[in-house]
Amino acid sequence: MSKERVLIANRGEIALRIIQACKDLGLDYVVLYTKEDEFSLHVRIAQQEENGFKRAYRIAGYNDPNEIFSVADEAECTAIHPGYGFFSENFGFARRAAMRTRPLTFIGPRWEVIRDLGSKINTKRLAKNLNVPVIPGSDESIYNELEAEEVAEELFFLQKEQGIQHPSILVKASAGGGGMGIEEVSHLDAFRRIYRRIQNYAKRQFGDEGVLIEQCLRDYQHLEVQLLCSSHGEVVHFGTRNCTIQSAGRQKRVEVAPGFDPAVCEYTFDARAVLDRIVEYSVRLAKHVGYDNIGTWEWIVSRDGSPYLMEVNTRIQVENETSACISRLNGSNEPPSLIRDQIRVAFGDKLGFTQKNISFEGTSIELRIVAEDTKRGFAPWCGTITRFDYPDEPWARLYSHVPRDTPYKIPTEYDPNFALAIIWGQDTKQAKERAKQFQNRTIIEGKGANDESIITNLEYLYNRIDDVLQF
Amino acid sequence: MRTDQVYMADSVKLLNQLADRISYLIDIKGNSEWANVGGLLGRIQGLHHSLFEIKEADLFEEIDRIEDRVSFLEDRVAEKLSPAEIVNIVRNPQRFTLMDILENVYDSYTELGGEGDCNIDPAIVVARATISRRVKNKLYSHQVMVIGHEKGRGEEYRNGGCARPWGNDKALRYMRVAETEGIPIHFYIFTPGAYPIEDYPGAAQQIARNLYVMAKLRVPMVSFISEGGSGGAEAIGVSGLRLMGSRAYYSVISPEGAAAIEGKIREGERVPRELVEHCAAQLKITAEDSLKLGTVDRIIEEPPLGARRDDYAFFRRLRYEMLRATDEIVLKTKNFRAFRAYALKRRIEEGKEVPEDFELLIGWDLTDLEIERLLEFRFKKYMELGKGYFLENRTFLTKGIRKTKNFASKTYYDLRYGLLRPHRRNVQKVIEEVSSEGSVFLRKVTEPVRAAYDFVFPQPERPSKVVRSEGPERRSIFAEEWESYVSPLANEDCTVTCPNASKYGCLDLWVPDLYGEFCGVCPNCGHHFPLEYQWYLENLFDKNSVHEFNDHIASCNPLCFQGYNARLKKDIKRTDRNSSMITFDARVCGIRLVVAMLFSNFRGGTVGVAEGEKFVRACDVAGTTRRPLLAYIHSTGGIRIHEGTLGVVQMPKCTLAVREYNDNGGLYIVVYDNNSYAGPVASFLGCSLYQFGMRSSRIGFAGPRVIRETTGRDVPPDYHSAKNALRRGHIQGIWDRREFKKNLHDALMTLGGPNLYYR
Amino acid sequence: MAQTSITDEPLEKLMDINLNDLLRRYRSHPFKDYPIETPHTGMVSFKVKEGQVVKGPGGEWLHRPGTLLYIIEREGNTKRVTALWNGKVSGIRLDLEGRFVEAGELLLFIRHQLDKEEIIDRILTQVLYILPAPQRARYFLAPEISIKMEKRPEGSVSVESGDEVLIMSLMKRDTVISYKGVPGALYKVYFKSGAAVEQGSPLLGICPPDKLQYVQKVIQRIRTEWEK
Repeated sequence: MSKERVLIANRGEIALRIIQACKDLGLDYVVLYTKEDEFSLHVRIAQQEENGFKRAYRIAGYNDPNEIFSVADEAECTAIHPGYGFFSENFGFARRAAMRTRPLTFIGPRWEVIRDLGSKINTKRLAKNLNVPVIPGSDESIYNELEAEEVAEELFFLQKEQGIQHPSILVKASAGGGGMGIEEVSHLDAFRRIYRRIQNYAKRQFGDEGVLIEQCLRDYQHLEVQLLCSSHGEVVHFGTRNCTIQSAGRQKRVEVAPGFDPAVCEYTFDARAVLDRIVEYSVRLAKHVGYDNIGTWEWIVSRDGSPYLMEVNTRIQVENETSACISRLNGSNEPPSLIRDQIRVAFGDKLGFTQKNISFEGTSIELRIVAEDTKRGFAPWCGTITRFDYPDEPWARLYSHVPRDTPYKIPTEYDPNFALAIIWGQDTKQAKERAKQFQNRTIIEGKGANDESIITNLEYLYNRIDDVLQF
Repeated sequence: MRTDQVYMADSVKLLNQLADRISYLIDIKGNSEWANVGGLLGRIQGLHHSLFEIKEADLFEEIDRIEDRVSFLEDRVAEKLSPAEIVNIVRNPQRFTLMDILENVYDSYTELGGEGDCNIDPAIVVARATISRRVKNKLYSHQVMVIGHEKGRGEEYRNGGCARPWGNDKALRYMRVAETEGIPIHFYIFTPGAYPIEDYPGAAQQIARNLYVMAKLRVPMVSFISEGGSGGAEAIGVSGLRLMGSRAYYSVISPEGAAAIEGKIREGERVPRELVEHCAAQLKITAEDSLKLGTVDRIIEEPPLGARRDDYAFFRRLRYEMLRATDEIVLKTKNFRAFRAYALKRRIEEGKEVPEDFELLIGWDLTDLEIERLLEFRFKKYMELGKGYFLENRTFLTKGIRKTKNFASKTYYDLRYGLLRPHRRNVQKVIEEVSSEGSVFLRKVTEPVRAAYDFVFPQPERPSKVVRSEGPERRSIFAEEWESYVSPLANEDCTVTCPNASKYGCLDLWVPDLYGEFCGVCPNCGHHFPLEYQWYLENLFDKNSVHEFNDHIASCNPLCFQGYNARLKKDIKRTDRNSSMITFDARVCGIRLVVAMLFSNFRGGTVGVAEGEKFVRACDVAGTTRRPLLAYIHSTGGIRIHEGTLGVVQMPKCTLAVREYNDNGGLYIVVYDNNSYAGPVASFLGCSLYQFGMRSSRIGFAGPRVIRETTGRDVPPDYHSAKNALRRGHIQGIWDRREFKKNLHDALMTLGGPNLYYR
Repeated sequence: MAQTSITDEPLEKLMDINLNDLLRRYRSHPFKDYPIETPHTGMVSFKVKEGQVVKGPGGEWLHRPGTLLYIIEREGNTKRVTALWNGKVSGIRLDLEGRFVEAGELLLFIRHQLDKEEIIDRILTQVLYILPAPQRARYFLAPEISIKMEKRPEGSVSVESGDEVLIMSLMKRDTVISYKGVPGALYKVYFKSGAAVEQGSPLLGICPPDKLQYVQKVIQRIRTEWEK
């Protein structure tokens, strides 16, 4: 069989990490870019490494599937890596890759799995059947106002029974995601108006007026379980992460693995047992649906230690390396590369190891460095980065598409994330210290359109590091 | 004594008359080369010039010679008039118009709704008139309402007799006046067609409205056709007796229009005359043909070359015939035997001179009972139209079984609804009346009765809270749509561009996604790509609930239109169906209904005799089974021209059937998809009280090309869009294909109420 | 009257000189070269030749597409790309014929001769009060203004300071832009809704009421002078 060639249908640091993973595996790769991303590092690297064939194609937009498939054929690719965002969780895209006349390997789960777990309602229903705890609320789309009111009433009643001080519920568009189309209702009288508003919004935005109603949980920690599965029915996990520190728009900013650390924080519950439980639940669901690639199970853990499954992310995540960093395969010092494993299993490989071969060591912290004004609602900053320096340490890794040697203009079309730093420490204390040290030594300079200085979230991140892992 | 002056005047008059006669011949023949009539005209012009140089005797001799020649030629033309020549006669400015009729047939008249060019629509003339007859030397006069087209003599404001939508609206208003006053209506049809504009109230809509009202108008109506141009003619044409001049024409489309379609002539190019003549002949548009086909009832004899504005003998005949026709309609409702005798007598008189006297006076007032009979006769008459001009492909045996089954089901439903229902209503009424007294004493009396009543007529189960959520099955992204019906269009690995891409930035759509999961709808802008009708059969109705009926009724070629047989055969083979109308019963979220569906693959979804018949029978089925009736119009191109006026009369026929169904309490809903134009929209579809359009549908009377060609004005690209149809009040709402089922279910529930049969 | 003439006079004179310069410049080069770039990747085949005269959309509602320039095929979809302007084809890249091209590849130019109205539009950017793009971003008219503009002809919708006029879409976030400047009639919209606009490019042209007469005079002058 000829060499596989992977089309990287993404940008930014993930494109770079996929390029690296492909090279590690000895695979060819091709990248895509838009006019705005012309000077992005992933393009430069691809162009530098061109030997015998064109490795970088300019397309109209990362959001146009036709462009991706068109280039895939032209560049004779055999597989597509969607990265995260864009088409990574689009079952239609995965389906098209699999069903077209010239099929391509979609590096991600089977499209059926993406479809079934992509639906929050369906996930909830599946979880309920498997006795996996979910957030109290409706487990199917509600279209009928009377029915909706009934559910809302019940949720308020249940919260009152539990003695919750300020009960409230969330009304969500079933087809929505990423924090869009969600509103909180703290009084039953206001329910009908908000229900109708969300219903209209859902109909306009997604063409489906179905609505979900859930109890609104406060004061919780946001945990994740990293799983890796193969098409041979193998399921392993790489432990848990804690991503509670998020921006105003519910964008994660700091991620820590493992999910809890009873050694440094105090919990009112048995933290280790909770972590074990959510891992067990996640594996149970993955096995049930025949999950066959990398994936993340997102959990909410309330102050009393009750976990609730929120959703499943059927893709590689930004923070995947946070988990990889604390994982050791057969005691080796080198952490595993989850992206590499993801590509391997997508091509049908077996994992080559089992849960027994995986051990955990230390704590890792991931910081997302973003040009944004954390004091003004995390508003993105745009302009040109003139200097970008960070310490080179064996315990830290940084991923960025921003070149260190030339000024870089931040494209205004995309997310303003520009770097990702992953710091490892022997224990949580050391990790936190190192993270702070790393930030102190990171220098970012830049100028905006009106000659004003760059604004980043470095200071914000520094201030939040002490908050990690605790309620 | 003849002075020079008189002689001069006489000869000029004679010459002018001859010139008129010759140019009339030229017009009929359509050219001046024929038999050198052009030369004859030249000779007359020569005489005109040399009036003073020629001796009187020579002049008159020459005039006589020319006159002989003209008479000879006239006889020759009259001997064998081709259909195209009849069209020329009808369109000739020398032909009589409605104003001539008002002057000569009626004794006095008052124009209503305007005079001359000061008018709501000068193409339509309405007049209150008196018409009189002599009985035993005494003069009696009747009051009538005269409604008709006025072609005028080239005045632009008359618009050639093309009624604008508001002209037809005026006609309708005065029909209602006639109804109020209880006087008969005489319709005179002199139109090449309706003016095809959508301005309010809309050409198609107004015609449909007129048909719907005329279906049950409680007065006798007689119509006379001189120029019966398709839908425009029907707008004021429903009547108990339809008369037609012997040199009139009645057609589904102008011969030129038919030729342009048949010859696939591109816009702006000239249509060859031979083709026009051929089409005129194929369309069977003459009075004799129409009588044979049953689309008119009687021919009024005109002079051999057609009646002109000074043919007083003809007007006398017309008066006589209008009187008799009205008499017959009236008599038939009163006493069938008297009517028979009267009709028989008329037949004996046929071809004879018009009698001076009537033997008896027949009053035109009707009692309520007689009006009921009048309506019944009208209904029956229209239901018979086109009978025998479609095929019923079935074996003798199945025919018998079907009949028995039909009879059995009819009896069942008659019993269930016909007998019990009025009874129930009465019982309920009594109870309500009694209870409303509110007396405690009375309750004692009514209570047992109410209990008994509840036992006999159990209340329909009230839909409870839980049942409501059972509504339409909601689509969700993980539904099993992948396993259900998927359009064959989806089986291609390619992409298409949404037509709105430049406006809304829609990305190209992958065809399997578009025709599968997206239901043929652009997810970005909502543009609806056309889908085959089978998709609707599978996706709109509950699984396995579609049961077709009357699929044995097949289109045929009643006019023996050349080439039509082959095309029919091809379409039957291609679509595996016998006509463009599919009728079936089905369920939508559990609600049973009857559906009539026109689809585009069969002759462009046009309506002919078979389609009309199937529609009428569907109305009947829906009526007897007490179910809502849905007309889903996948696409319709209008009335099928190859079936001529037999197709045109399907317009009133189907509208009468719908009216009957509605009046009996039925709920009739029309949904337009893709393109819906012309006849059907201007009748049985447009008359529906509840019409809806799919997102990307186009609805109207005539397409942009026809509008351009007839009105000389261009229309914007979105002229016929659903949005504009909504704006004009044509439709009540725009539906999205992805929510078709839900919308239909909601409409049935809200418009139909709990028993779905709204009265 | 006297007062206004005193203040107006020098201004107008200044403008007169400017206007003459501008007109001379446009007259010497009354062209605009519109680059035609591929909207996306695909196989290109040209349908025009170098120097060919092409037509933009026509018909009363601009519903008849312009001259077919080229066909681009991608994923089994052959897309016909037609001219949006009248003009002459130049700089055609025939070397790309039948080849796979990337998105945004320059294929040809249409050299479009500016007509009177277009000249007026261009000159007006120097006369009207211009609201420039604060950032390189995508812009949309605020819904309220947009509805008004649809219903009324250009020049009759007025704005004043504080009115929400634009929506700037930047980094996936929408920011509402309020108008700051002299109140007046919204005379001209210079961008296509949703298109990326470079920083500093004109977005809106506003005409203050006291300048309206003057603007009309300028238009009148260009109309008459351009003909000469």
